[in-house]
Amino acid sequence: MSPWAWLKFTIFLWLLRKTIKLTGWLLLAAAVIAAWPVTVVAAAGYLAAWLRGWPPARLYRTAAWALPATAAWLAALEVRAPGWRPALLAPGRAWAHGWDHLAAAGLGRAFLLLAPVALAGGLALGGVLWAWRIYAITTGLGGITASAPIIFDARQWNRQTRTALGLTKAPGAVPLLARGGNIPVGGTIRAIGHRWHPVLALPAASCTRHMVIVGATGSGKTNLMIRLWAGWFTATLQDARAGRGDRPLLVVLDCKGGRDARLKADRTRRLLYGAGARRVAIWPDEARLCLWDLPADELAVLLYQMIDTGTGAAAYYADMLQAVITLAILAPCGPPLSTQAFLDRLNAKWLAGAWGDGRHLAEAEHARAAARHLPDIQLRYATLLRRLGPALDGPGRLEEADAWYCILEGTRERSVAEAQAMALTELAAHAATTLDGPARAMLLAADDYSAVSGRVPLSNLYERGRSLGIGVQVSAQSWQGLGATEDERYRIAATADGGIFVLHTPYPEPLVALAGMRRVLETAHKLIGNAWGDEGTTREQRAWTADPDLVRRLEVGQACYIQRGAATFVQVARPRPSPLTLLPPPAQPPPPALAPEPRRDPAPDPWPSPSGLDDFFDPGDPR
Amino acid sequence: MSLNSNPFQALGLPERPDLSDEDVHAAWRRVAAATHPDRPDGGDLARYTAASAAYAELRTPWGRSEAYADLAERPDGPVTSPIPAIPGDDEPPPPPWQPLLALTQVPARIRRGRPLRLAIRAIIAAVLSLLVLQLIPGTPAAPADVLALVLWFVLTGRKDLAPPPER
Repeated sequence: MSPWAWLKFTIFLWLLRKTIKLTGWLLLAAAVIAAWPVTVVAAAGYLAAWLRGWPPARLYRTAAWALPATAAWLAALEVRAPGWRPALLAPGRAWAHGWDHLAAAGLGRAFLLLAPVALAGGLALGGVLWAWRIYAITTGLGGITASAPIIFDARQWNRQTRTALGLTKAPGAVPLLARGGNIPVGGTIRAIGHRWHPVLALPAASCTRHMVIVGATGSGKTNLMIRLWAGWFTATLQDARAGRGDRPLLVVLDCKGGRDARLKADRTRRLLYGAGARRVAIWPDEARLCLWDLPADELAVLLYQMIDTGTGAAAYYADMLQAVITLAILAPCGPPLSTQAFLDRLNAKWLAGAWGDGRHLAEAEHARAAARHLPDIQLRYATLLRRLGPALDGPGRLEEADAWYCILEGTRERSVAEAQAMALTELAAHAATTLDGPARAMLLAADDYSAVSGRVPLSNLYERGRSLGIGVQVSAQSWQGLGATEDERYRIAATADGGIFVLHTPYPEPLVALAGMRRVLETAHKLIGNAWGDEGTTREQRAWTADPDLVRRLEVGQACYIQRGAATFVQVARPRPSPLTLLPPPAQPPPPALAPEPRRDPAPDPWPSPSGLDDFFDPGDPR
Repeated sequence: MSLNSNPFQALGLPERPDLSDEDVHAAWRRVAAATHPDRPDGGDLARYTAASAAYAELRTPWGRSEAYADLAERPDGPVTSPIPAIPGDDEPPPPPWQPLLALTQVPARIRRGRPLRLAIRAIIAAVLSLLVLQLIPGTPAAPADVLALVLWFVLTGRKDLAPPPER
């Protein structure tokens, strides 16, 4: 081949390629213009999705909701001209008819004639185009600059958060309970691996399994927890009323205490009353429980565990303590019914009398052997039970209320709060297993349990709850707050089959690692100067399902819900009862507190008044 | 804090969630200076105590937002009593005509939701429906277009209604 022929052939090939490409573009433009109503709807849908950060699924669902209109159109056609043939040809006729209207400049009329088909088709097409755009940008196939994927993602995140926030402000978008007994949490920002819904709603059953919530102070953890409690309570109560389950019993352990705990308790109570609760008790401020209602053997173990016993040489005294407690509680006359009755039993004379019936020779011997330790043991228990206060001395049982909000002063009096937490979890376990009275569906929620977890590690609480069939929900301010050791933390987090909520926290890596990795495509482009060339490679990579940097940057109220290797970012909605809910009548205003009078210096005695002088000197005659 | 108290009022502040720390601190100093019990005139101990409690509640942004949200929930007076032991058996199961009863609550749900937005949506749907009936009367597309507009109104307007009771 001569050079001239080669040159001609090359030019011919170039022209051919360009002609084919141009023809393709022209055909596409012709199709876009020809199907202009579909094009308009698709463009509008694409633009809305881009501006509001919607996923393509949102456009597909909207297209599906437009199908009834298409069906109505076909039905109307069928009525007018029966038979499948006219119905099949109807879109074409309508399209041709539309061009007539276009010629007459009746654009609006033409659009309305084609709208039943154009809406569904256009929205579906817009969804496909938007999905392609996302794919192209995230894999590096689209975009003008190398930073396009990063900028695109950041902008879309901002738009998604704005949309989710707007949704949470709508009064009816995120109620306490959605249809199907699901618990709405808030507007979905982004779903990775989970199916996307505008509002993230969890099945109530998620709360009856174990759930972990981790978030720093001020990250919106309280709102999230109260919403989940109220949602679970509402769902369970409605099931109970419909005869599908047991009446709910919610036990909340607020382990930090203080003024904030009272405010939270008050908010929770208002919501639960709105949901239909009959009685919500706040312990120890307004209600009491009775430790002595526990079965005797459980009571003996609990009382023994409530005292610090130590190890090594102290083990001897620990054994002695346990033996004495067992003798005092399991006496033939039955367990004690109050603190005073228990303390009275820690006495050599009482024990000798209780076991000295001649049928319990071994126990009577043990009581004699322990006699010299009894004053010490009595002193220790008297001190402990006095510090615990009267709130565990009854009367009162967990079953008497629909919800208990227990406030433990974990930051002010840690040792007392730890003992109280032990007693309360024991009472909850007893309530879950007791056969007296109707069965209850129970959720035990521990807020900042790490403040009192010295005696009963959180993992024990978890395992206890699992064995008893009650849901356990725990929250901590950080990964480290979940447990004392890394092993314990993983044991807690990895068994949270109800899901993990991670709010803003500086070290989310161990938690987001539980969501696992996902496969992503990474495209490398050949650079020519400062611009991308037309060559490159694409390869498969692994990326976090829940990006820890994204979790670190979460704003107040934003959370990442991790479950089954997938993650959903959500804007948590503040829980509010329906304004139509009938609440109990307002309370009588409390009597004003008696404030001491301000300090004032005593005033000097006044001079006697003229009338007073008359008492000493006769009034006499008026002059 | 008493359920009926208003911490913003106690400090003489507007009921807004976007107050700054400085605003609250300045208001607290102003009230404290005027009501402190050590003043020569004896001050006003009750007001000073209320302002002190209010300051403790409002001094952080989180506390302010919580207090504001509490107030926002309160205007209709749903204040619960401290321990209202509500005796009685379980409520009876809902009657079969419950869905019909739900319809009777729609006006109240509209009133307690976002009636203005709902009205705007309704006006848009009505105007467009009239436009459809005016431009393409008698065509098969007309009822379909009106149905599409009704669906749009129902689906987007739901969130502007207050939730039904106990949800």
